[in-house]
Amino acid sequence: MSQDSHPPRIVCFMCNWAFCEEEMRIPYNVDVIRVMCIGRMDPALVLETFIKGFEGVMLVGCKPPDCHFVDGNLHAERAVKMLKKLLALAGLEPERLKLLLVAPLEERAFSHYAKEFSEEIWRLGNSPLKKDEFIANLTAAKEAASAFRLRVLLGREEELTEFMNAYGEKIPEEEFDALLDDVVKAEYIRYKIHYLTRIKPRSVKELAQILGLKPFAVLRHITNMRRKGMIALDRVEGYTPLYKALEVR
Amino acid sequence: MTEKPLKEVRKLPPCRAACPAHVNVQAYVALIQRGKFNEAVEVIRRDLPFPAICGRVCFSPCEDACARVNLDQAVAIRALKRLVADIEREQGRVVAQPVPKKYSEKVAIIGAGPAGLTAAYELAKLGYPVTVFERMAEPGGMMRYCIPDFRLEKFVVANEIAYIKDLGVEIKTGVEFGKDITIESLKKDGYKAIFIAIGTQTGMKLNVPGEDLEGVINAVDFLRAIALGKKITVGERVAVIGGGNTAIDAARTAKKLGAKEVMILYRRSREEMPALPHEVELAEKDGIKFYFLVAPKQIIGENGRVKAVECLRMRLGEPDESGRRRPIPIAFSEHQYEVDMVIPALGQVVEESVLPPELLSKDKRGPPLQVDPLTLETNIPGVFAGGDVATGPASIIEAVGAGKRAAISIHRYLRDEDLRKDRDEEKIEETTWVKDWRLLEKKERRYEPPIEKPHLSFEEAKAYLEKLKRQARFEAFRCLGCGPCAECLASMELCEGDKAVVDESKCVGCNVCAVICPVGAVKKNEKGVAQVNEELCKGCGLCAARCPERAISMQKLSNEQILTMILTALER
Repeated sequence: MSQDSHPPRIVCFMCNWAFCEEEMRIPYNVDVIRVMCIGRMDPALVLETFIKGFEGVMLVGCKPPDCHFVDGNLHAERAVKMLKKLLALAGLEPERLKLLLVAPLEERAFSHYAKEFSEEIWRLGNSPLKKDEFIANLTAAKEAASAFRLRVLLGREEELTEFMNAYGEKIPEEEFDALLDDVVKAEYIRYKIHYLTRIKPRSVKELAQILGLKPFAVLRHITNMRRKGMIALDRVEGYTPLYKALEVR
Repeated sequence: MTEKPLKEVRKLPPCRAACPAHVNVQAYVALIQRGKFNEAVEVIRRDLPFPAICGRVCFSPCEDACARVNLDQAVAIRALKRLVADIEREQGRVVAQPVPKKYSEKVAIIGAGPAGLTAAYELAKLGYPVTVFERMAEPGGMMRYCIPDFRLEKFVVANEIAYIKDLGVEIKTGVEFGKDITIESLKKDGYKAIFIAIGTQTGMKLNVPGEDLEGVINAVDFLRAIALGKKITVGERVAVIGGGNTAIDAARTAKKLGAKEVMILYRRSREEMPALPHEVELAEKDGIKFYFLVAPKQIIGENGRVKAVECLRMRLGEPDESGRRRPIPIAFSEHQYEVDMVIPALGQVVEESVLPPELLSKDKRGPPLQVDPLTLETNIPGVFAGGDVATGPASIIEAVGAGKRAAISIHRYLRDEDLRKDRDEEKIEETTWVKDWRLLEKKERRYEPPIEKPHLSFEEAKAYLEKLKRQARFEAFRCLGCGPCAECLASMELCEGDKAVVDESKCVGCNVCAVICPVGAVKKNEKGVAQVNEELCKGCGLCAARCPERAISMQKLSNEQILTMILTALER
């Protein structure tokens, strides 16, 4: 699709312990930002990077079982799984986010991977979304990723799937995955509604049209959001109630 | 590079706590993880002037203490140390910058062994003019004259000592204590403090009949003569008596010099042998025979030469004060081994004749010198003693530890400070805070040092070195990093002093951070609010990345900081 002659702008968050022995050769369209551990990357920050205008994000960490912080790379894997779901919901190709886990015995240099990823992004071309749609969707995704519900679930995934929860149950991975799917979707829609009603008060019908959902599904989310204090009734126009977003903490 | 003094870092990882010299193991292993080999040697040199020597012959108490033992096998700390030191040496000798003399008080150190050289090294780093006096022609003590070449090459010793000399330490060889110099003469020459580290030079006697026969030579004398390049005719059948490292060294040397059959006679069993198990294996590979539970009764001679050793069988009784089971002879169990050379290797004792009589302890059963075990003071003010001379024969790393303690004492003595204040080295707390062993995977050792150097062409050698380096990095990743941030200063801009901070007004007490934290540094306190234990926090930031209410942020690399970096990158 791309007729763009510019190579895509890519940012690469890199673990302090990956590719650290030799001088790295970095392609000029790639920026490397070092962090302590790749698990340290806040999911919201990754989405923020897309909003700011980067076309691809690569996360580079160490291959399990080696991690300077025991299991930071596994945390990163979980975060990326969730982020890809969010990106897909927002209408952006999940391939734009890549997690690369390299062993300390890695044969190939960083530039090899960076080039490979660049080409992949170049092939994807520009984002399929229009500018304002892109901002709206990605902001909603970012806010969903900064909110309590997703983060708690993400933070507890290991505990829930590998060990026991408070009731002595162990959740199978597939079950957790399905649960995560549901929660990610619900959270994304709620924050999309929040974003849309922040611009101007809207009715359920209008929101349903923009989101491509059945009005009753939207209403259910709105009821839920009202209970949480995310949204409130603004006014009633004729017989149609209009909702407006409230400031969330 | 700066480092917090030891007393402030109260909690040490087990490897560092177990090391008598408290080498910052976790730091240099972390540096090896990052492929920074030269920096790793620098970190070792902060505490230990002999990285290459200890990488070869240290008995590695660090590996015995390593927390990884609970899971699979200790990290190959010694092998890693050897590799980094060797890589550094292969690049050419590192010339240290001489340290400017800050103080005018001259310090005399007697004996250029590991204890004396370490004390000299530490004092020179503090800025004292130090002179080391050595009886032999070359410095190095037992490291040079008693450890055979196949275990510790002479040029390695020379290289490490050259580094100490670079710092401005003066080493005077061929000066004998008790003859050329005495404590009085040194004081007259203006030395304000004296450290006696003459070690234990005399081999212990067997105390059996026939010890004066031709063909009986003490292990220390035997090894020293070989190190000096003297010609020694080794017999056809050699018996080495003893079970320590010196015995193994003597036996292997004899074998390599052409003895047809070498046997080691030890009065206890294999488990009680003080020699390193690794060395024993190598000796067995060399074809040395081991006879356990035998002790010599007499040496039988013929025409003034050794003909056989007569031995008694032993059985093991109750454990003695050293914790090992005491051997008890079995009556009428005499038997003979036909040999033409006997090498007793029963340990060494201090040459008491060279020491001034007022230093010797009156209690003849205890250690020969009266030395305060903490400050290493003797009963003459300004005179300190440490190393083997005070403790009896021990190891290099223990001597290094003694040298370091002596340096601190001498510094405080010369500066009129309290010698005992904050010297609670015994109280060092050991910590392993691997939060959950279930999280960890087993990883077998990934690097063993090659026993023999392969013969390779230039290209091959380059590839071989690269392979070793990669293996070493891989091995270093087995380190669990039990301690807090080890302050290797691996990447100054990132990790130095980064700590998590909790905004208590935002925290809802969901406990996610406590689950996430790999080292268990974050816990809920009695108020139900997350609290970061700064002593444990390594600054990885995993908690900050997951906190649902974003109540935790990092001091240095905060989310805002990363965002600024993203924006700067975009503007580029």
